[in-house]
Amino acid sequence: MAEHNAAPAAYAKPLPRITPDNRPFWEAARRHELHLPHCADCARAFWPPGPVCPWCFEENLSWRALSGRGVISSWVLFHRAWFPSFAGDIPYAVVQVELEEGPRLTSGTLNLPHDRLAVGLPVEVAFDDVTPAITLPKFRARRN
Amino acid sequence: MPARERRAALRDRTAIVGVGASVFGRGLPQSQLQLGLRAFKAALDDAGLRREDVDGLAINLGWPLGTDYDRVAETFGLDIRYANQTWTHGRFVTLALQHAALAVHAGLAECVACLTACSFTQEKDLLGGPHDIEGMREEGGTHGENPVYGQTSPSGGAALAFSRYMARYGATGDQLAAVPMALRRHAALNPAAIMREPLTLEAYRASRWVIQPLRIYDYCLVSDGACCVLVTSVERARDLAQRPVLLSGMQGIRSGRGEFIFGPPGLGINQQPESARTPLAADLGVYEMAGIDRAAVDAFYTYDAFSPLVLFALERFGFCGPGEAAAWVQGGRIGPGGELPVNTSGGLLSEAHVSGWNSIVELVRQLRGACGPRQVSDAHVMQWGTPWGDSVLFHN
Repeated sequence: MAEHNAAPAAYAKPLPRITPDNRPFWEAARRHELHLPHCADCARAFWPPGPVCPWCFEENLSWRALSGRGVISSWVLFHRAWFPSFAGDIPYAVVQVELEEGPRLTSGTLNLPHDRLAVGLPVEVAFDDVTPAITLPKFRARRN
Repeated sequence: MPARERRAALRDRTAIVGVGASVFGRGLPQSQLQLGLRAFKAALDDAGLRREDVDGLAINLGWPLGTDYDRVAETFGLDIRYANQTWTHGRFVTLALQHAALAVHAGLAECVACLTACSFTQEKDLLGGPHDIEGMREEGGTHGENPVYGQTSPSGGAALAFSRYMARYGATGDQLAAVPMALRRHAALNPAAIMREPLTLEAYRASRWVIQPLRIYDYCLVSDGACCVLVTSVERARDLAQRPVLLSGMQGIRSGRGEFIFGPPGLGINQQPESARTPLAADLGVYEMAGIDRAAVDAFYTYDAFSPLVLFALERFGFCGPGEAAAWVQGGRIGPGGELPVNTSGGLLSEAHVSGWNSIVELVRQLRGACGPRQVSDAHVMQWGTPWGDSVLFHN
């Protein structure tokens, strides 16, 4: 269980692939902010990131901060460690969160007991600094 | 010519004239090319054709899980003048079959071999985890993978979809169990199936979670095997050894923000809008093109890599309404002798995972009346239709 040693081992789980399309998301996460691409013409946030608004097909885009609030729209519990680096976490939760602004993100949970996992559970973003360069947005239960 | 007339012009113009399969098993020592050769030769023998008669390839095979069309052609000594390649994914079964028919109908080829060959037990590292190259893509893989959060394996997408389906419609794991149990009853009648012993509800309930809400029996076999299907014109088919199985109707794969590969439209996975999505006429062009009503379908075949996909496909083609499939499949309805038998060879859940081509081979044999104890009686019309919305309708 190298991940639980007193001297923390290097982070062994997969890290995001930073691309020109998603770089602002990960830069904002590092600042503990949740940013998504936003279309100025139809005033909506969208996901996944890309060079054009999927609704109006215009390119007047900017990245904007979101509330970070949403509800769990689906959840699963992994009982098998396809990634050896996740073996110590079994069973671990993966959730989809429907954000107040509309888009759904696939994510993980922080301090959220598995017996509270439910579709519709109000959650809010929390940030997990996993390496000096990478912070993962995850979600925890919201205290309304 | 309007699209509707162009579609009608393709109705019953092409046929499957030969089918072949290798042995199916787990841990088989053969390469994909060795398995594929067995299936290809068996299909030629079945049709009464020679290698020289095949001038087209539509292969559902390729990187990262197999060789490409040119390697197949040079290995088998073929002289190919039309090739279509979709890499090894169940989602591309229909595309390969449709391309074969379209190429024949357009005169680009006389006889197209559809070939797939899987050796999943040798390459299971590719099915999730650090070596799953496709699943490690930016913004996640093609089944909703997101490795950063541990969301991996194609089954992760099916689990997310079924978890939401349960919450939305009140479906239960016991209801889902009816799918693998029915397919196991089919497999018990099929000597080629890998898993033939009965599956009880008690055994299902006691089995381990893999990705909750999916248990091990909701998963397809990780197995090895190859299938080949030969498509030619209906004129050429008349001269050959077997009763032709005609391709009467088809519709293409659906894609867009309303779609998630392993969930029905309107479920609300990824960016799908949430709505109760009863299929419209525009979603069911396969029946209109064939001039055949859904009620005439004698058996239904689908991509059953994970048991919820069977429910989603049944709803997608309107056999029942949104959210109703979990109840609809109870009481033996999709099993042997049922109102709508599904995947009568045992499918990917119990026969073997040959990407779905084993179901195409099976329905051809059924429409020839050649399935012995598992023969669907008085079978005339059979449908292949996937959870992602494409389909081919066949009749004899």
